[in-house]
Amino acid sequence: MPKILVIDDDKDFQETTRIVLEKSGFQVAAAYDSEEGLQKVQTESPDLVILDVMMPSGFEGFEVARKIREELKLMELPIVLLTAVHGVKKVPYRFAPDDQWLPVDYFYDKPVAPDVLVAKIKEYLNITQ
Amino acid sequence: MKKTDVAIVGGSAAGLTAAITARRHYPDKKITLIRKEKLVPIPCGIPYIFGTVGSAQKNLIPDTPLEKNKVDFLIDEVTEINREKRSLKTKGGEEIAYDKLIIATGSLPMMPPIPGFEKENVYPVFKDVDRLGAMQEKLKSSKKVVVIGGGFIGVEMSDEMNKIGNLDVTICELLPHCLQLAFDAEFCEEAEKLLKERGVKILANQKVVSIEGDKKVSGVKLGDGTVLEADMVIIGIGTVPNIELAKNANLRLGPTGSIWVDRTMRTIDENIFSCGDCTEKFSFFGGKPSKLRLASIASSEARIAGSNLFGIQRESVGTIGVFSTAIGDRAFAEAGMTENFAKQQGYEVITGAAEGPNRHPGSMPGMANQKIKLIFEKRTKVLIGAQMMGDHAVGELVNAASACIQHKMTIDDISCFQMGTHPALTASPVAYQFVNAAESALLAMS
Repeated sequence: MPKILVIDDDKDFQETTRIVLEKSGFQVAAAYDSEEGLQKVQTESPDLVILDVMMPSGFEGFEVARKIREELKLMELPIVLLTAVHGVKKVPYRFAPDDQWLPVDYFYDKPVAPDVLVAKIKEYLNITQ
Repeated sequence: MKKTDVAIVGGSAAGLTAAITARRHYPDKKITLIRKEKLVPIPCGIPYIFGTVGSAQKNLIPDTPLEKNKVDFLIDEVTEINREKRSLKTKGGEEIAYDKLIIATGSLPMMPPIPGFEKENVYPVFKDVDRLGAMQEKLKSSKKVVVIGGGFIGVEMSDEMNKIGNLDVTICELLPHCLQLAFDAEFCEEAEKLLKERGVKILANQKVVSIEGDKKVSGVKLGDGTVLEADMVIIGIGTVPNIELAKNANLRLGPTGSIWVDRTMRTIDENIFSCGDCTEKFSFFGGKPSKLRLASIASSEARIAGSNLFGIQRESVGTIGVFSTAIGDRAFAEAGMTENFAKQQGYEVITGAAEGPNRHPGSMPGMANQKIKLIFEKRTKVLIGAQMMGDHAVGELVNAASACIQHKMTIDDISCFQMGTHPALTASPVAYQFVNAAESALLAMS
């Protein structure tokens, strides 16, 4: 059973995401800040990471993504970034996946419909059903 | 509820051209353009407000073409597309029913999340008059500006800011050269030489690792540990399609995250078309998804979308990619693929170049050196790319080259190209560089 690590400080989001993912046949591990996230990427050996951007001390998710990619064995680990940064900060620009500064596989603005998220995860993990 | 036959969302290059085209093809239809900006900057003119033109107010797309073409326009923000009811909702509380809809919502500047990006005085280049005004105001009190990204926006902005006089301007580019995605090295080097002579500093092959400072920017840290002092940082690394409205209406997105369309510019909804920067593009060469976003491409797509609304007439052939820029009196222009890019894509190429005066005799006034390089696919001898530098005329000559590419002309076709020449206007018929570059490619084959 593929394992998804969700790194997000929002407990409600963690809970609803866990329910949706478990229903779809995934194992779920949770980390509530970036430090715990980076630890669990190693100890839990997830097949895919769902990552939040804004955690308590700022735009931590961006740094977490870059740190994951610095590890040779984690270079291919799919990362799906979910964020409310565009909405909350009302910024007139956009972040976008980029090899240099934002090495993630996909970027969603929150909220994301659960079925859309599950479909994207399945796509990355090559699950056809 | 208001009712219109054609609704167009967005009022820049794509939206405006789509409206004019729709009017030409459908004289009796009611056409309504809705845009959120009171004033719309000319996108490609933005760098020039900082030096040549002088203010954002002098770089505006006029509303007269809308009035002349009897296009109703509304300044309001569309917040929702209801595909079932075929209607739009706006922030101002309007509800507008449409028969056909064109989405032309454009793009937003891309912000790289470099650590420190959120500091004060970091400016992505907005297509927004107020924000551009604020940027210009900040420039007045700045001394050292670092520009991240050495593409067209970075290069043009730097050259223009340099004209202000008291500014120290440095471009940081990740690739070995500025403008490298549009030109081969010999052209980039010439452009860089000119920029440096004019006072712009260039740091190529340089990764920016962080933006330094407390609340405000104080510098930019590079991969080799150097910190460049800066009181202002300008980001010009590209754009991201503005697709929120389409996404919320469950329109399909394409592989680059833009609004998917077929070659007639129709989305998955047969009553909704899309054109311009928000729209998925494919390359003229091989059909791969393309991220080129230019106002010229947007207008071409808009002419397709606008004419196809009530019956399909036109199809896109894909994006060729035609660029031009000027550094002082020297112009640089490119159409199609560079030699480098074509090789990366798996093409076997043959190239030819020719260089010489653009007047005959060379003692005629206005003489400048003109260099043209043509790139052909080796087996079919079809033209797949053209690069040129010279006086401002290459800005138009490249468009002739683009037509040759679009119509798949070969080395022989171009060698026998029938041009008009004049001593005061062009190179001599004997030395005509466009033709001679093709001839020199032919020689290289044998």
